[in-house]
Amino acid sequence: MQILRTALALLLVVVPLASQEAWSSHERDFLTRIRRLTVEGRRAGEGYWSPDGKRIVFQSEREPGNPFYQIYVLDLSSGETKRISSGLGKTTCAFFRPGSSDILFGSTDADPKSKQLQDEENAFRASGKERRYSWDYDPEMDIYAYNEKTGAKKRLTTARGYDAEGSYSPDGQWIVFTSMRDAYNRTLTEAEKKQLETDPSYFGEIYIMRADGSGQKRLTHVPGYDGGPFFTHDGTRVVWRRFDEKGLIADVWTMKPDGTDQRQITDFGAMSWAPYEHPSGDYFLFASNKLGFENFEIFMVDTAGTKEPVRITYSDGFDGLPVPSPDGKMVAWTSSRSGGSAGQLFLAQWNHEKALEALNRAPLRKPSKKS
Amino acid sequence: MKRRPAAVLVISAATALWAQPGPRALDSKTRVHVEALASDGFDGRLTGSAGERLAGDYIVTQLQKIGARPLPGRSDYRLPFEFTAGTRDGGSSISIASGPSVASGVVSGSSQSSMSRTEVQALSFSDNAEVTAPVVFAGYGLVVPDSQDFGYDSYTGLDVKDKVVLVLRYFPEDADQKTRGILARYSDLRYKAMAARQHGAKAMLVVTGPRSPNAGETIPMSFDTALAGSGIVAASISGNVGKAIFTGVSGKTLEEVQRSLDSGDPHVTGFAIPNLSVTIHTLVEREKQTGYNIAAYLPATMGTASVAKPWIALGAHYDHLGHGGNGLSLAGKEEAGGIHHGADDNASGTAAVLAVGEAISTQPRHRNVVLDLAFAARPPIVLDQLAAYLNFDMVGRMQDNKLTVQATGTSPLWAKIIEQANVVAGFDLQLQQDPYQPTDVATFNEASVPSLNFFTGTHADYHRPSDTANKINYEDLDRVVDFAAAITRRLEDLDQAPPFSKVQQTQPGGGRAGVRVFTGTIPDYSTEVKGLLLGGVMAGGPAEQAGLQKGDVIVEIAGQSITNIYDYTYALEVLKVGQPAKVAYVRLGERKETTLTPAARK
Repeated sequence: MQILRTALALLLVVVPLASQEAWSSHERDFLTRIRRLTVEGRRAGEGYWSPDGKRIVFQSEREPGNPFYQIYVLDLSSGETKRISSGLGKTTCAFFRPGSSDILFGSTDADPKSKQLQDEENAFRASGKERRYSWDYDPEMDIYAYNEKTGAKKRLTTARGYDAEGSYSPDGQWIVFTSMRDAYNRTLTEAEKKQLETDPSYFGEIYIMRADGSGQKRLTHVPGYDGGPFFTHDGTRVVWRRFDEKGLIADVWTMKPDGTDQRQITDFGAMSWAPYEHPSGDYFLFASNKLGFENFEIFMVDTAGTKEPVRITYSDGFDGLPVPSPDGKMVAWTSSRSGGSAGQLFLAQWNHEKALEALNRAPLRKPSKKS
Repeated sequence: MKRRPAAVLVISAATALWAQPGPRALDSKTRVHVEALASDGFDGRLTGSAGERLAGDYIVTQLQKIGARPLPGRSDYRLPFEFTAGTRDGGSSISIASGPSVASGVVSGSSQSSMSRTEVQALSFSDNAEVTAPVVFAGYGLVVPDSQDFGYDSYTGLDVKDKVVLVLRYFPEDADQKTRGILARYSDLRYKAMAARQHGAKAMLVVTGPRSPNAGETIPMSFDTALAGSGIVAASISGNVGKAIFTGVSGKTLEEVQRSLDSGDPHVTGFAIPNLSVTIHTLVEREKQTGYNIAAYLPATMGTASVAKPWIALGAHYDHLGHGGNGLSLAGKEEAGGIHHGADDNASGTAAVLAVGEAISTQPRHRNVVLDLAFAARPPIVLDQLAAYLNFDMVGRMQDNKLTVQATGTSPLWAKIIEQANVVAGFDLQLQQDPYQPTDVATFNEASVPSLNFFTGTHADYHRPSDTANKINYEDLDRVVDFAAAITRRLEDLDQAPPFSKVQQTQPGGGRAGVRVFTGTIPDYSTEVKGLLLGGVMAGGPAEQAGLQKGDVIVEIAGQSITNIYDYTYALEVLKVGQPAKVAYVRLGERKETTLTPAARK
């Protein structure tokens, strides 16, 4: 909390705003008609739009008896939700396949230990003990494509190590994803073995494959967690976040889908992650804890990264995983603004014109202190 | 809302803004109802008044229009009930007799004095009776239950059976913070009276000690809706009367005795006052009136055999404060006595119930839906047949798309139902699990009925004549109606009634002590934050002088951490008038500190 307070105090010096009204009106410049989408369950997040903008697929801890995330599709016109994952084990990061009735997501339900892990977690929670929420990068996680029409589920990855965080290209033919298979497909040094025990995400790299799972190819080769890749709206580039080796600093990067032309977009000196491009192609939305270790806010930055990022959200706790609707007029994101530490999905109208104005006004990116 | 924690007193002197009819949105489902109910003609809808009856006529007409019927077994929509409209002292008196033979009960050769009304005032919950008996001084009259493991009992070693006990108001003034905190909880006058009665006393006299705030003053008659007395004669006396009684005590003044008690030392005891008896006569006049709850129902259109608990109830109170004469008004000087229109409180909720009723009246349903417009929720049907209860209390002043839904902890099914309805309705929901809030939901929660209350937040016009129809946000009020209608439809179609779950009450037990300090803060109830969010501060009040402002979140007072309104009320109880207290608050995410000096509250 000390970090948070200091950061906010500094911010107050830089941006002297007289009243709370001024602060919240800042958020209202970009986000209006804020609404809470999910209520049920302990937490929910990672909401991604269907290509027609009528539905959202998300993960939520709401399956009776299963303490982990399952995948649900929410119909925005009826309010009905439907679970599409099996209900067993852990799942994460779903994504609609354009031009198809496939939805991909990561799941561990092929792991025979799934039920046991659920029971252990339930017993832990029942004991009343608490720990910080953390994602465990389960090595049994693999990517599946679920067909909404047939109900069939096709396994796309088989490598040992966490395979998840997948998303389709706009033409539905390719999938970029994160894999930690590098920790299992070669002999690790002693230091690396220790690293795997404490933080497997260090081995996370970006991969690409065809929509049927064939042609899997590694795109990044830098130590530290590379993850959360998405195609840009025209499919010409991939945007993702790259952590430093210690896993504390992350920045937004882009590259061509063949892994070449890797460019750093932000140099924000904080944990900046979960980038997603606005369909206009003008800017990326992303989350950063620039203002305090636990206070993630949503920012935006021009796609070339020439400007300093502009702050979007102004609320305590977590705001992150921003995803604009296909028409660019709304944003879904995950926030703990309704209280407690666990996030839920929120939705708001997005003001693209105001966003462009703010980006125009933003100062040029300061030269990196590192270089 | 009808009842608020005692800590909240908002007084403002702003000029009234009288209603001007705004542009008429013809498609609004609620505007016509709010404008009618909050009109001057209904005169503030004070319970028992002609205005209330006119409002009732209007509501009955609307219920008939949508095809709602009187409840089964009744021919009328109105359900009369008797209530106490007010209390006043009808001429209580006290006299003191002293002399050597008093102990035998005979007043002879003694001096006797009788006191006028300014010297004695019955407490609102007193029995009406005359008692003549010797007096026992019982300190602060505090009894902390054994279960609290604290060990403080003002009655230790005292025989008060059939006596008059004299106690000090409040609790020891100089005790350490922790002791004051515990004792404060048991210093409510009703609680003290109960302790005196349980020890066999016939009457309790309360004097405000010379070392306390409001020293020597009698206690104004508080508004109390109790229909009868509490089983003991109870009155407050002036400092003069206290002094007169203490003349029978050799070598000690009341002030000296109070000083010795004020340390909080539990071993300082009371004593019988020798050679003296008092005659206390109390007369509390309780004005009884008849009010009318209104209830109707839309019968199920399909068989109810397939559903468990075939009833749902939608409720809102439609009464308001009339001209504000019952002590609940927050009108400023210039607007005092004017019609309190109660457009948001609670013409808005009444309109919502009528509009939801209208929306569902034309659709098939598996359950009977009661529309319950009541002065106080008096469950109009058999509660074990009631699947759920939805209450609307101030839903007309939505800001920033924020809708507060309270009591969501009363059923595990609410999350699913609320989520589905809100995906379509699109509110920035503020969900509060707690059913123990000052709304009618509390009654149903006690009866294990899953309940919800809808609320759009407090505002500066609350309980003032300026709560007028032109300030209602009709567009969003209509959205609340759509949202509640969607929830009602879901409830109509469930085969099984929603299961009830009991929310643990966090408020400490024991009697509530009266808050006696004034801080000039206006809490904002609509947002659940960790701490106490200020919706505003009173001009010139201690909070404003301390530099606090709207939007600040108080997180600590005098070393006690504040996480909710209960903590805040509790912390206020132990503050001392005129003694600066450190206040920690969060403004724009930054923790700050200031010093607040509470003033006395009368």
